[in-house]
Formats: sequence, C-alpha cells, structure tokens
Amino acid sequence: MSIRVCARDNKTFRRLLEYYSDREKAARLFRKNGGKVVGELGCDVPDELIIAAGMFPYRIYAGECSHLIEADRYLEYSFDPVVRMQFEKLTDGTLNNEIDYLAISNSTDTLIRIYLYLKEIKRSEPEKPVPDLEFIDWLFTRRLIHQTRNEFTVRLFWEKLEEWSGRKITYKDFAEAASICNEDRVAIREIMKLRRAYKPRVTGSEALVIIGSAFYMDRREHAALTRQLYEDAKKWPEINGPRIFLTGSAQENTELYELIENEGAVIVGEDHDWGERFVNRDCNLGYSPVRAVVDQYMMREFSSKKAFVSQRVEALDREVEACGAEAVMFYMNAFEEAASWDMPSQRKSLAARGIKTRAFTKMSYPVSKNSALEPGLKTFIESLKG
Amino acid sequence: MNNDNKNNAEPVRAQKSLKATAVAGAYQKEWFAGLKARVEKGEDFGYLNADVPMEILRAMDIPFVVNQWWAAICAAKRMAPKYYGLLNEQGYRDDLCSYCATAFAESLDPDDKVSGPWGGLPDPTIAITRLTCDCQSKIFELFAKNHGSELYVMENTQPRRVPPNWWELAPDRWEELYDPDRLDFAVEELKALISFLEAKTGKMFDINKLIEVMNLINEQESWYKKTRDLIAETQPAPVTVVDTINAVMQAQWQRGTRWAADHAKSLYEEIKAFVDQKRSSVPNERLRLMWLGRGLWHDFAFYQNFEEKYGAVFMWSMYLAMGADAYIRNNVEADPLRALAARYIGMEDFLHMPPWNANWFLHEAKHNRIDGVVYMVPENCMQALEGSYFVKKTLEDAGIPVLIFKADPVDARKWNRETMTGLVEDFIETRIIMGGKK
Ligand code: SF4
Repeated sequence: MSIRVCARDNKTFRRLLEYYSDREKAARLFRKNGGKVVGELGCDVPDELIIAAGMFPYRIYAGECSHLIEADRYLEYSFDPVVRMQFEKLTDGTLNNEIDYLAISNSTDTLIRIYLYLKEIKRSEPEKPVPDLEFIDWLFTRRLIHQTRNEFTVRLFWEKLEEWSGRKITYKDFAEAASICNEDRVAIREIMKLRRAYKPRVTGSEALVIIGSAFYMDRREHAALTRQLYEDAKKWPEINGPRIFLTGSAQENTELYELIENEGAVIVGEDHDWGERFVNRDCNLGYSPVRAVVDQYMMREFSSKKAFVSQRVEALDREVEACGAEAVMFYMNAFEEAASWDMPSQRKSLAARGIKTRAFTKMSYPVSKNSALEPGLKTFIESLKG
Repeated sequence: MNNDNKNNAEPVRAQKSLKATAVAGAYQKEWFAGLKARVEKGEDFGYLNADVPMEILRAMDIPFVVNQWWAAICAAKRMAPKYYGLLNEQGYRDDLCSYCATAFAESLDPDDKVSGPWGGLPDPTIAITRLTCDCQSKIFELFAKNHGSELYVMENTQPRRVPPNWWELAPDRWEELYDPDRLDFAVEELKALISFLEAKTGKMFDINKLIEVMNLINEQESWYKKTRDLIAETQPAPVTVVDTINAVMQAQWQRGTRWAADHAKSLYEEIKAFVDQKRSSVPNERLRLMWLGRGLWHDFAFYQNFEEKYGAVFMWSMYLAMGADAYIRNNVEADPLRALAARYIGMEDFLHMPPWNANWFLHEAKHNRIDGVVYMVPENCMQALEGSYFVKKTLEDAGIPVLIFKADPVDARKWNRETMTGLVEDFIETRIIMGGKK
C-alpha cells in the first residue's frame, strides 16, 4: 500500500509528488522571475493574503538536517525536534536562499518562543542570516473580544504584506486569491471523499502528497491538478484493511503513513496541519476580507495545541465518525506535550464508542529513529484485523 | 547515592533565620483555615494561576488560592511522588508540567480531604487561568471538572515593541512599555473578567476598592524595593534567598491586603536591624551568587550548601527583586484598570522574554555585586523557556559566569542533591574562583 503503483504511474499524481518532494522548485522559479517568497512557520498564516499581495507562500518544514549547530546553541532542550530543525534552517542561512520574508503564526507556544528568539537574534546579532519577520498573534479563545482583536491582528499582517510587496492589496486582489484558495480546498475535499469512502481508493500517504503539494506550488495549478486527479483516482483499486485515524504531531512527510499502511491498514483521516485540517474551512467571501480571514483561521476545527480538552475530545469523536475509522492512533513527538493532556479523556470517549486506540508518545524524529515503532504498529494493526 | 529523595530518611531542612518568614508561615496557615471556613459556609472560592490579575478578586472580596503557591505547599509537604503516581494511574504522563499540574493531580486523590496538605484543597467554584502556554488551559479545565468549578480563561498577547530597561519605565511610564493596543485589549479582558465574576458571585466590583488594593500593593512593593536595595548594597549580605524567598512569596500571594503591606515593612525593618547590628547571614561571605529560575521548593537547604566551604551565598532570587521592580504602578487613580493591565500583561515579558529578562538580570547582578549565576531551567515547561542563551551571553559578556542546569522546581523524584552540589562546586571552583575574579 502506501503510495501505490497506480498513483505513481499517474501523470497528474506524479506532478503533485514532484512538488511535494522537490519543495523548493516552484518557490525558486517564482523568485527567479522577480517574485518574493514568504516563508510560513506555523499553520495559521493566511495564505490568501500572501497570494493577494502577489507573493508566494512557502511552508517551512524540518526535513532532514544533518546538524543542529544553531539550534543547539540558541534553543533549550525542551524544544521539539521538528521545530529544532526548522529553526536550524532559519538561522544557518539555508532558508535565506529560498525565502525573502518570514511569517510566524501563534499556532503553538513553541513558535512564540521561536519568534522571540529570532527577533532577539536579529537585534543583538544582526550579522546572522535571519529574514525579516512578522508575527501573527492569533487568539483562539472563542469570544467576541478575541474575534475583534484578531481582526486588528490581521490588519497588521495585511499592512506588513503591503510593505513587503511594495503594493496595496485591493479588494479584488483579495477576492481573487481567496477564491483560488477556496477552489483548491474544494478540490482537495472532493478527492478526500475517495479516501473516506466505504471502500477507499486513496491511501493516507497519497492523501498527504495531494494536500502537502499545495504548500509548494501555484494554488491554481494545484486545484486544477487535484480536480483532474479526482477523475483518475475514482478508477484506482479499492483498498482493504483496518481504517485508522491519526492524531498528534504533524507529519511533514509520508514516512509514518507508509509504515502504517505497509502493515495493511489505511489511514482514512488525520487532524494535523499537513493533512486534512488544512482544508477544514473556507474563506467566506460574503464577509469583509479581514473578517473572512479571521473567521477561517479562528473557527477551524480545534487544533491540538490551542483548545481545551473537552473541545479536543469532541473534535476527535466527530472526525473519527466522519471518516468511519475503527481505530485511532496517537503519535506524539518528544517535547510536543500539549496533546498529552487531551489523550486520556479522548481515549476514554473513543473506547466508549468501541473505537480502539494505541498511543506512541515521546517519539524521536525522524520516524525512522524509533526502533520499537514497527513491531508496535504490527501488533496493533494485527489486533485490528482479528 | 540514592537519587530518589522520597526514599531518603528526613532530608536536610533549610536553616531560616528571619522572624518574618515564620510569621508569614504561621499567617498563611491561619488565613487558609479562615478561607476554608468561608468556603464551607458556601462562599464562592477562586483558584487562580499565578499570572491571573488576582487584584480583581481581592477587590471583590472573593477568597482565592494561587496555583503556584499551592503547588509549593504540596511540594514542601512532599506530596509530589504520590500525586504524580495518581496521574500515571489515570493514563496521564507523570513527567509533564509538574509545577502547574500538581493541583490537578491532587484532585485525583480520593483521600485528599484526609491526607492532603492542610486538610486538602476545598472545592473551588471558579478556576481562572491565562493562556500563557498550550498546556495551561487543558490542565485547568481538567482540574475544574474534578472540582466542579466553573472555568474562566484569559488570553495572552505578544509584544511588538520592546523598550530596554523595563524596570525604569514600569512604575510611572508604563504606557511607554507596551503597544497601546495591547493595553486596550488587556483592559477589555479585565472588564470581561469582572462581568463574569459579578454574574457568578452576585458581588459588585467597586472601582474604589481596586484603587485601595492597588495602593496597598504599591506600599508593599515599595518595602521590597527598599529591602532589595539594602541587601544589594550590604556586604556581607544580611540574609540569603532561603530567608527572603518564602517571606516574600507568601506575602505576595496576599498582596493588596493590609497584612501583606505591613508584613513587607516588618521584613524590611528586621533586615535593617541586622544591617545596623552588622549581623550577616554568612559572616565569611566571599562570593555572592544569583539564583535564576523558580524556587527549588523541595530542597531549600541546597542553597546553603556552599556557604561553609566557599563562603558562597545565594543572596539574589527573582522573588524579592520582581517585587521591587515589576509591581509598582503609581498614579493608579487616573485609570485603575489600565494600571492593572500594565502590571499583569508584563510579568511574562519581564521574566521570560529576551532581552527584557537578560537586561534586567544583568542590571541586578551588577547592583548586587554578583560573582556567579546558577540558572535552573526546567525540563518540562515551555513557558519557562526564556532565551537562556541570551541571558547567559548577556551576563557572561559582562564578565559574570553562568551555570545552567536542568531541574524541576517541585518534582523531587529527579533531583540528585549530590550531583547538583558537585556541579555547583565545580562551577564555583573553576569558573568563579579560578576564573580570575577572586
Ligand atoms: S508548560 Fe509550563 S507553564 Fe505551561 S502548564 Fe506546563 S509547567 Fe505550566
């Protein structure tokens, strides 16, 4: 399973996979043609606005980093491994060749620290190759005062983008960008139906590629390719095997998914930001632009970092039901602790609904570093087959 | 060496020399008993995280307990091993957020009313926290559920503007410290909190009462300022952190009361008398040490380990110095809510954000003629990550050596006093003494 031959042999999927694998390709071309690239750290940076400003959004990822010299120098040990690598690339000059600016969203505590540290590095060690940065100080508590505050925050980001791009963002720019992003989300949601179907035709690994390639290519092209792929994928063979929902740390690549799917299970949904959470809510063009952006990012399905336990319990129950999963796998990287507080209540609630669970906590990064993972997965998935 | 404190017989207890510490200790017991009696009679009772603007509840005369104070009491009573065991039993990890999760863990204890510290925590009807880290809201919600309390949360915003030398601007020119929109928003949040409390308790919030509370706090903290300055300028130091941390922290949780202001004055007078009598805590003082990080609640005696051998005295901790520099807001009458906003939103920034924390530590280190800094960074708290690199660099660039080590302020299970002592001794010998300063 994982990424199957039918997918690899498909021209459209191959194109998405190309962008998913060579993540700098489109951004480099964009820059070469005189455009500006905005790196996004955190999953709540409004792509719509960056695109409306005529710039290219590029999601920062950890990838494989052979050294962590800068991260070890500046970051305390309790920064999680993924953020450590992202930070390394932001401070050792690697990303300076790829991005012009950096936008960080308040999607988790860790990123607030990263923002403060980067800002301090820029101030006290200006020779370091840290790009110009802006922080998007979202508040996720759902009350009117927080919504109003978020509108202020979005306006600040809007102005910053105008400064970076050197041009005004008009209503037309915004509406056009938001429509493209909405179209893309609609296309992704459509193809994800094939993943959630009673007999799935798209695997979790394939789904990650389809979704994740959007972060590294032109959105209009992504939407078109995804729509095209939907027609092809309808004809892909059905997948059998236990249906698993994955929750916990974000998976920036397909490594974990492939391990799970190679054991004969299929990941029919996830709630992290490199998966379906990305397409959870559209930008409502019936609202004014700032309100539309606030609505979209503030009112999406609850993230594991910025929500109460009760909200996360309900969210997981809801999502598991929506995709018809029979089991939930919790997978949490070391030092990514917040979700650990949700887990016991979530497991209890899932158990009451007859959903089996298995937790892998304090995991090392990358996935391959965890030698006990494979046998653990095998036992769990076998138990589901029985 | 047994690295598990809970198996040791009775650990060495710290020697405290101040009357004010004993008085505060006795007072808090009496106060807690009074609070319990009020709660038993059916009054609303708040449980607050330390960063919540407690002044509002004080002004409304709603009894409350502060989470970090209570965690320290639990740690001092050596309850942590039992509580973390309970977390484990219920499927929670027992190695996370020890400081903030102690009270939640306690709420899992069916015997709490019998064997909990001081007869256990009465059930709060209100639990309030701020979202200054990802885990806080989750832990507080779990805690609130177990106690049947209503949960209320307040947000946290990040500064865009960071003027240096916050401690100079804080008392009078606090408008200049923050982006104005942050202050506006914090005032809105205070108003929302007040509305919630009025609806919940049926009590009216009286702005005049808040002015009174704020002025009492100014009075109390001004005594800390005098005390801090006195200790800084007296060599050998009249007292150590073992004396001051508890005396100050216990009274800080009572801030806004007449008792606390008077207690702060008595603390000053007691130390002043020591100075006048030329009494010092460690007469052979040769080295002055600064303690950065939260208090080592489960092993206060550790601080005194280096006095005899090296004449090395831990004479500075943030507890007294924050009182001196971070709390005073003059001219409260003009806009009491805004003054309060300017206090509570800054605490995190002052302590946990470079360069504000680093600059202040350096300023304090110079003022206190510090020879070396021992800096405890907790392993399992994201909020306590405060740019230790920048702090260390700022201090060391100024010629003050820094030892950073990992430890936990309340979880005694991971503490190995012998190893830690060795680490600090080595630091004193190689970095401070041989480092050429003395
Ligand atoms: S991360 Fe730190 S501040 Fe937050 S709940 Fe845990 S121990 Fe408390």
